Amino acid sequence: MADFTNLSRRTILLGGAAVFGGAVLGPTLSGCAPAGAGGARPLKFWHLLSGGDGIVMAGLVDAANADNPEFHATQTVLAWGTPYYTKLAMASVGGRAPDVAIMHASRLPGYAPGGLLDPWDLDLLEEFGVTKQDFPPRIWEKGVIDGDLFSVALDAHPFVMMYNTDIAEQAGVLGDNGQLAEITSPEQFLEVATAMQAVTGKHGLSYGYLGDGAQMWRLFYTFYKQLGAEMTLDPGEPAQIDEDAAVTALDFIKQLLDGTIAATNGDYATAVAEFVNGESGLFFTGVWELPTAVNAGIPFDAQPIPNLFGTPAAYADSHAFVLPHQSAPNEAQRREVYRFVASILKGSFDWAGAGHIPAFLPIIESDGYADLVPQAHYASAAEVLNYDPPAWFTGSGSDFQNYFAENVQGVFRGADSAEGVRGFVRRLNVLLAKPNPVA
Amino acid sequence: MTTSAVSSRAQAQAGPAAADTKRARRRAANLTGWAFFAPFGVFFALFLVWPILFGLYLSFTGTTLTGAGGEFVGFENYAEALADADMWRSMLNTLWFTVLSTIPLVLVALIMALLVDLGLPGQWLWRLSFFMPFLLASTVVSLFWIWLFNPQLGLINEMLKPLGVEPIAWLQDPQWAMHGVVIATVWWTVGFNFLLYLAALQNIPEQQYEAASIDGAGKWRQLFSITIPQLAPTTGLIVILQVLASLKVFDQIYQMTQGGPAGTTRSAVVYIFETGFTGYRFGYSAAISFVFFAIIIIISIVQIRLTARRGPRS
Repeated sequence: MADFTNLSRRTILLGGAAVFGGAVLGPTLSGCAPAGAGGARPLKFWHLLSGGDGIVMAGLVDAANADNPEFHATQTVLAWGTPYYTKLAMASVGGRAPDVAIMHASRLPGYAPGGLLDPWDLDLLEEFGVTKQDFPPRIWEKGVIDGDLFSVALDAHPFVMMYNTDIAEQAGVLGDNGQLAEITSPEQFLEVATAMQAVTGKHGLSYGYLGDGAQMWRLFYTFYKQLGAEMTLDPGEPAQIDEDAAVTALDFIKQLLDGTIAATNGDYATAVAEFVNGESGLFFTGVWELPTAVNAGIPFDAQPIPNLFGTPAAYADSHAFVLPHQSAPNEAQRREVYRFVASILKGSFDWAGAGHIPAFLPIIESDGYADLVPQAHYASAAEVLNYDPPAWFTGSGSDFQNYFAENVQGVFRGADSAEGVRGFVRRLNVLLAKPNPVA
Repeated sequence: MTTSAVSSRAQAQAGPAAADTKRARRRAANLTGWAFFAPFGVFFALFLVWPILFGLYLSFTGTTLTGAGGEFVGFENYAEALADADMWRSMLNTLWFTVLSTIPLVLVALIMALLVDLGLPGQWLWRLSFFMPFLLASTVVSLFWIWLFNPQLGLINEMLKPLGVEPIAWLQDPQWAMHGVVIATVWWTVGFNFLLYLAALQNIPEQQYEAASIDGAGKWRQLFSITIPQLAPTTGLIVILQVLASLKVFDQIYQMTQGGPAGTTRSAVVYIFETGFTGYRFGYSAAISFVFFAIIIIISIVQIRLTARRGPRS
């Protein structure tokens, strides 16, 4: 009996030693890897780019590491959307966040005021050759909250229109320059799409939205802003939305999703497949699908979504570098973060290959960029960018887009537009009535 | 046992010194018991008891993700929750999912077990294929069914086409989404119940069937008079386990529909997650959890009452 007690104690001690030993040794061993890179300072870099642009980002990070012996950045790629933002917020709250991360600029209003992010030091940025003048004003301003710069944009990624040039030619809708002739009204757009449908025999336009609030919001907000409408979401006040404009935009989208011009029940993946298989002529999509279209080897071009309602506007967001809040930032470490970000920005020409419009103007103004087709054909969208209306709950991958989907997916599939808009406004008002939880 | 009892009595009579030894032994035995309990006890306290108590505390505060608003707000969160239409809707969705999923998960499992028990050739193959999906991770199951349910390219709609069924947007149509999730769930988890039933079936004594057939009972008579009554305890167990499992549904819904379309598949746990982790309101989220906890307790009591009443009669 006594022997057995001793034995179990010993076993427990041994087991405990194994557990604690594992906990202590594990990090030490894995911590050796970055330090092994020639005394370079290891930087932890989080982002959510896992598609084609994730591969390009890995290349940019490798290039930055190779050019700068001072640091060695290691990327951690997390799943896009809610999982990423939840983890980033939790890490920042704990005060042990990564050194640098990429966020959507539209998510800043939910992160910066609550102290989840640290502001950038403009002087230090300038020291590494990055200044306000290097960015288009709309993009730079999006990173500023209450006078402090919280994000440095890497790109702008608008919602654009791709088109199959072969199909467009057969449909007779190309202009003299070989690009799509300018479209200036909803009626004209329907005509062009119908002409393309006649060529493909399937659909004129590919657009996937089912179960995807972000996709619904991107197209809706493009047309809503083209109608010159504003959306203001101030906590404590009812949402200010131009309901007439919203209904007009939704009614037009419904006209497109008639089963002939575009599929009534199109989802994202099916829409991509349809366009790259030549079963449609037009494709409403984010610029990030550019590599997919290129790899498919189809003849295509791209441009901003035509201005159908009078005001040129494109829904967009930006991938932007942020400094997740750290309780005790190390000055020398932070310095390397600035060097890293500056190095990535200056090397971001390749980022255009992922479809995104680089935010760093020296890249856009370089000779090589003008020759990049179709990137150069939609670069003008950067001048008419529209980010989500600022609020703590808006932005890419936020619940806001889910709430939009909840009320509007039915409309896309044929329900009453005005009822959908009212439901969305009611939902927003519930959110706005509650105090901002992250202020 | 007997000898040790006798000897310990003898020792007790022997005097105070012996009593001390006995106490020391009992203490040693107790210590051993505690030592065995300790590893589990530590984890239980750390990862279950403490979070529950902390959650209870949170539910009376306005704590948010950033740690702001941690002041005591009394029953404010509970008052808000009880008046929150979305919360009630998520509770009803959960109950609806539980009803929709539990019935087929019991019936289909029973039918599959009965068929396999008929003694078909290659029984191991049937057993394996019915149980296999249960071994998959929820993510695999979700991705698999998202593709099967795809309204344009999916296999399900393709199979229904010859029957003259119009393509259904299984996971995107508010009328169908919950059914889509239920179908995927049944396919995924029915194997476990099937296995429980099969084991129970094989435990029914063969003599009962022999006696029944001598008395002239046919196969159907045997099924309803022997098999199903003999399976009653297993059915009770499966129903209880299934109701509890269905009430806490989260994975499939989060991955297949994110609670949509139009909130028709937002279960209670999904709503708790949304409120806390994407809506940043930990305090309110904790309050909803405890409301849900109360509802589960009520359901459990009702269930126990029902099964207890059934018990003595059979």
